[in-house]
Amino acid sequence: MTAAILSLADVSYRYPDGTQALNNCSLTINRGTRTAVLGANGAGKTTMFLHLNGILHPSAGHLLWEATPLDYSRSGLRTLRSRVGLVFQNPDSQLFSASVREDVSFGPMNLGLTDKIVRERVEEALHAVGMTESADKPVHNLSYGQKKRVCIAGVLAMQPEVVVLDEPMAGLDATMQEEFTAVLERLHGAGMTIVVATHDLDFAYGWADQAIVMRSGGVLACGSPAEVLMQRDVQDELGAVPLVAEISRQLSLIGIDLRDNGYLPRSKSELLKAISSHTRQENTP
Amino acid sequence: MLTELSAYTNRWRRVPPAAKGLFSFCGMVAAFAACSPRSALLVALLLSAATILGAGVPALRYLRIATPALLFLLASGLSLLVSLDFGGSNGGISAHLAGSELSRIAQVSCRSLACLTALLFLALTTPLVDIVSLLRRCRLPDTLLDLMTLCYRTLFVMSEAVHETTTAQSARLGYASFRLSLRSLGGLVANLSVQVWQRSQALQLAALARNNDGALRFLGPEYPDSGRAISGAAISGILLIVLAVTLP
Repeated sequence: MTAAILSLADVSYRYPDGTQALNNCSLTINRGTRTAVLGANGAGKTTMFLHLNGILHPSAGHLLWEATPLDYSRSGLRTLRSRVGLVFQNPDSQLFSASVREDVSFGPMNLGLTDKIVRERVEEALHAVGMTESADKPVHNLSYGQKKRVCIAGVLAMQPEVVVLDEPMAGLDATMQEEFTAVLERLHGAGMTIVVATHDLDFAYGWADQAIVMRSGGVLACGSPAEVLMQRDVQDELGAVPLVAEISRQLSLIGIDLRDNGYLPRSKSELLKAISSHTRQENTP
Repeated sequence: MLTELSAYTNRWRRVPPAAKGLFSFCGMVAAFAACSPRSALLVALLLSAATILGAGVPALRYLRIATPALLFLLASGLSLLVSLDFGGSNGGISAHLAGSELSRIAQVSCRSLACLTALLFLALTTPLVDIVSLLRRCRLPDTLLDLMTLCYRTLFVMSEAVHETTTAQSARLGYASFRLSLRSLGGLVANLSVQVWQRSQALQLAALARNNDGALRFLGPEYPDSGRAISGAAISGILLIVLAVTLP
């Protein structure tokens, strides 16, 4: 049984311009899990993320860290922000320094660690995202994908327990997306809790343990991607279905059951493997 | 961008910035200490030789980078040399050559040239992030250095934004005529102003998310064997000053 690490209980938030961005939003993120947050633009994903890191304070409701309400004092926020790392969508809006190593050191330096520890953490974080070899290049000479990795390294160097990424796949080509998924898998393998906002249903279906679908600042559905993403109202809201799930469903309608001990393929590679194994079984006399 | 390219690709990239900063500083002292235009010229020559032959900055690139500053120096020298008189006895404009001041003008111009080569030495061998880190160690005010860091980073972000916007405008014939160009330029400035405001807000959020509470703190770069390089720079720098002072 996994324990809740971060929860929102009936959180509402209204921006100063009057926009109601969150509306009685309640959800739970469990320790060590991979959560995909989906929803149309303006559904409240980014506002919810800014609450997880304590940047925005709820107008109503409250947030819990391991069942304890968040402490919004200066030291409380300091602790929260060292536990929850937030990576924004646009790398150019969050990289301060033109030097990769300097930028990655920014977070741990803010934690007041010694130079020696910061140096070690910077190298570890750069290694974790596969950027050690490009660490001496100036930031403006890096590709978009590399800049995104530097942003993640900047958060990892603070050694958070939860990493929250706002649309990390946006603007990345297929190869970069694969590399990025591998980075996320490594972080998850290291025991980190990962929350990702995405519009990519196939990625959410194949990668996440939990899918949260947001609509108008609230949670429309929450649960395992296989259940949530196949719901009619969720499909109507998102305007699409995960391709792998839809192909499996269509094949089952014509009598081809791809289930292996009740497990349905979740990614393209798993689907292809299941189809070829099914074809082999059919051809075996 | 040529300065950037040299700063990151020269042979002395891994030499401690403190050593290069010290040599450049000695170069400037030598420029001011030079007793004659000839000795100031020699200092300039030695400093540019150090940049081109020592650090391996291509001579042609060096000249291209130095040209705007050299033209400025030439204009300043000429304006000192020639004085215009608008209120002559017959009401016309007359030009006078400051012949008696010639040696002083030559001295000032040659000194400026030597100072320019000293600064170019530092700028073309050391990336700005290393220079800022060096200035931080020299205890310059944090606010000034934070501004330098942010301005430098924003320079590249904004130049990309300018490039993207002008490309998008050109693709829709935004610069097809003089009237349209003026209109597009206005649009570009308005668009950039909004972007600057939005990006500054985004940067502040990003700083908060990484536990920042005011001053920007970064880990300085680490260079091996700093002592030896600094002693080497000090010795060469002092030799340069001695040469500038003793040469007639």
